[in-house]
Amino acid sequence: MNGKPDHFSALTLTWLALVALTLVSLGLSEWFRSVRWLPLLVAAIIWLKGAMVARWFIESHVAHPFIARIIQAFIALSPTALVLTAFFGDTLARWATL
Amino acid sequence: MVEAVLQPLPESHVDDKRRIPGNKGIWVGITCVFIEFTVLFAVYFISRAHFPEAFHEGAQRLSLASGTVITLLMITSSYFIACSVNAIRLGRHGSSVRWLVAGLLVALGYPLAKFLEIRWNLAHGIDGDSGIFFTVYYYLTFNHLVHATWGILGILWVLARLLVRGYSADDYSGLEALASYWHATDIIWLIIFPLFYVLA
Repeated sequence: MNGKPDHFSALTLTWLALVALTLVSLGLSEWFRSVRWLPLLVAAIIWLKGAMVARWFIESHVAHPFIARIIQAFIALSPTALVLTAFFGDTLARWATL
Repeated sequence: MVEAVLQPLPESHVDDKRRIPGNKGIWVGITCVFIEFTVLFAVYFISRAHFPEAFHEGAQRLSLASGTVITLLMITSSYFIACSVNAIRLGRHGSSVRWLVAGLLVALGYPLAKFLEIRWNLAHGIDGDSGIFFTVYYYLTFNHLVHATWGILGILWVLARLLVRGYSADDYSGLEALASYWHATDIIWLIIFPLFYVLA
């Protein structure tokens, strides 16, 4: 031992949580296929899984602020776009029409 | 007044404690990959906004099992590689090698699973001309596979260096850089999976 903390338990718990969230996603696709708020839930799970990988695997909380911010921004981007597309799809399509 | 202006700015207390995981070079690369996939995701969302029905029906035709297997492979290989970094930090060289080998073996399952998925797709009449959803699906997932392939080659290189004790508890930046890249690739897949396979 060299006095550095052993993160094995935290890494294992993170992995188990990621597997559990993946299985929950499968359940969502089966049980709530036509529910209007499904994209909201899926967006939350995307963000949560990304945040967990960033926090525990990359250790973004102790990374340089630029790195931490770029990861946070990337993780937040798709869930936000998913919610906007799901609830304001027509407006987005109109704006994105050439 | 002049002296006050010329005095160095006090350094941020937060910045003192924070570090660069791996090295600067890999974060330039990861930032470029994030920008690249931001553009690709923009294509996905704009297409989805224009053709919601095609995206709703298209996702139902894909193999949910394939998407799930790839997700579990990505998550697990990411976990194994994170454990390898944890082990080398603690000075456990043998353990670090074993975790990295496990990470490599699981990571190799991704191209295999993708190959089987493509074969399944073609057998079910799904190719690049099957509609807007599948064009975007092939473009995005193949792009991800290419980046994962770079990651697998990186794992092989880092493993070779680790085997000849190129990394230690005091210097493991190469291993951590590879781990950061693989975790970034993992994050991208964790976005791709629900967008194409779950939102049916």
